[in-house]
Amino acid sequence: MSTVFRLKEQPNVPLEAEVLCPDTIADLSNAEIRQLTVFHGKRQVPLEDFFDVEGDGSVDMELHGDLKKVRWVARAMTKGSVTVHGDIGMHLGAYMKNGRIDVHGDASDWIGAEMKNGLIHVHGNAGGQVGAAYRGDMQGMKNGTIIIDGSAGLEVGMRMRRGTIILGGPARDFCGLEMKGGTIVLREGAEIRTGAWMRRGTIISLKPLQMMPTFADSNEFNPTFLNVYAKHLQQYNIDLPFAADAGSYQRFAGDLSVPGKGEILVWNPA
Amino acid sequence: MGGKVTCTLGEVKQRADFIVYWGGNPAECHPRHFTKYTIMQKSRFLPRGRKDRTMVLVDIRETKSAKAADTFLQVKPGKDFELITILRAMIKDQRVTDAQIEDTGMTREVLDKLVDQMKNCKFGCMFFGMGLSMTRGKHMNSAALLTLAAELNAFTKFVAMPMRGHGNVTGADVIMRWQTGYPFGITFNRGYPRYNPGEFSTVDVLVRGDCDAAFIIGADPGATMPQPAIDHLKRIPTICLDPHITHTSKLARVHITTAPQGIAAPGTAYRMDELPLPLKPALKSPYPTDEEVVRRINEELQKKPFWMPEGAPLTMTAHG
Repeated sequence: MSTVFRLKEQPNVPLEAEVLCPDTIADLSNAEIRQLTVFHGKRQVPLEDFFDVEGDGSVDMELHGDLKKVRWVARAMTKGSVTVHGDIGMHLGAYMKNGRIDVHGDASDWIGAEMKNGLIHVHGNAGGQVGAAYRGDMQGMKNGTIIIDGSAGLEVGMRMRRGTIILGGPARDFCGLEMKGGTIVLREGAEIRTGAWMRRGTIISLKPLQMMPTFADSNEFNPTFLNVYAKHLQQYNIDLPFAADAGSYQRFAGDLSVPGKGEILVWNPA
Repeated sequence: MGGKVTCTLGEVKQRADFIVYWGGNPAECHPRHFTKYTIMQKSRFLPRGRKDRTMVLVDIRETKSAKAADTFLQVKPGKDFELITILRAMIKDQRVTDAQIEDTGMTREVLDKLVDQMKNCKFGCMFFGMGLSMTRGKHMNSAALLTLAAELNAFTKFVAMPMRGHGNVTGADVIMRWQTGYPFGITFNRGYPRYNPGEFSTVDVLVRGDCDAAFIIGADPGATMPQPAIDHLKRIPTICLDPHITHTSKLARVHITTAPQGIAAPGTAYRMDELPLPLKPALKSPYPTDEEVVRRINEELQKKPFWMPEGAPLTMTAHG
């Protein structure tokens, strides 16, 4: 049975709650969980000041309420699942190593930042820096999957090294900034400067993009790996077109300023 | 990306034979910059002064500074990042098409000449203003220019420096940097500094309404920040220290008038090249200095119990 957390009082400054993580609560009793320390601004307070806790600890967690100001949930989780009903604050699933996070609502910035593995599925919109590297770090997410049904903000997948980000809605500027590997799928395109300074990796867009001037238009084709990739994505109910009779992909290589070996594939329906 | 290649204005004055101003209007905003540090000075290495130096101005419109420049390059608004990225590609002899260059408002001849000048100068210096750092792209525009300057060091000595605004903004950055390791956007809520611009930088904290009090010294966010930030400053207890009545002090709960720095209060100001300059007061003021007010507030705070509980703070290490 999963452990249920209900936000009972809206924090008036950010609440840093990295203890809301399956690894921390799995072996604790209900009373012990209530006494875990969270940071309300600079003040250390017990978790029960802000949350009603139902059930003993388990690897499966459910969070309810408007959690926009609750940060660092599921930080570095290695197992189990976290389900959020409502909006969630920054750094959700940062450094996560395994497990699954579902958000039925909107997420904020830095979700899945520097994650190693696992799955994050946001059913609403997300903020910026999805799967990105923290400031000063060289590598963002190293593996795993982030699926966002809605839109996302600036610098999605900034410096990501490996893994997959799939956006159902549009992304804002600097999507795939300084990317070093991995794949970003943009179902609704992005604003400007997509793939700026990328070294390696693939950005697939199903809508036309405004390209950076330092990308070279190379050729139009149907890459073989996309058949395999589309089949892999079917498990998440994501349709990626690949058949030659449906259209083809325009390939742009760059970013020449680095100079990088990244590619942006833009779908061109027949 | 990483690091900043910089120097003092003294070195610029002595050695810089190629100067680029990007997105700034020094003739009107920093009127003594030309004459004291950059293009007009004669020096041991540049004995003919202005004749030995080349100046390029890059901006979206022809300002008064264009008259002082040897070359004026009019970039299309919002295309600075693209233009700098093209330059980064061109100095590495990467192929960029004419159409891509023309999209930024430039021509191939102009950029070929600029790249040639950049590679063949003895000491190049780029100064960038708010036209670059405060337009769409923000920090990445600055990062682009700093990276270009760093990469040009494969060919010649090249530095980049921001044209800082009024007040001692450079000083705030420098002091924060040597005390905490980070220049701005820092939180101390765990008892040690953490850095994340966008999360902890003042304007973002205020716009999201993440703070429940504000203490403002020598700045006027009430005049410069976006409306949601100003609305939040009105909601929360705001304390303002300033020699004048500013927009911020009108919306603050408490305004403490302090002695103006450099005129009636001693101290240290940092020039835009991060050089500390001592200030000697010429006048006496009936008001306390900023330092005295902060010291007295600190003394009162010392009487309260320490806010962190006993034992080591709960730190967050990078990997759990």
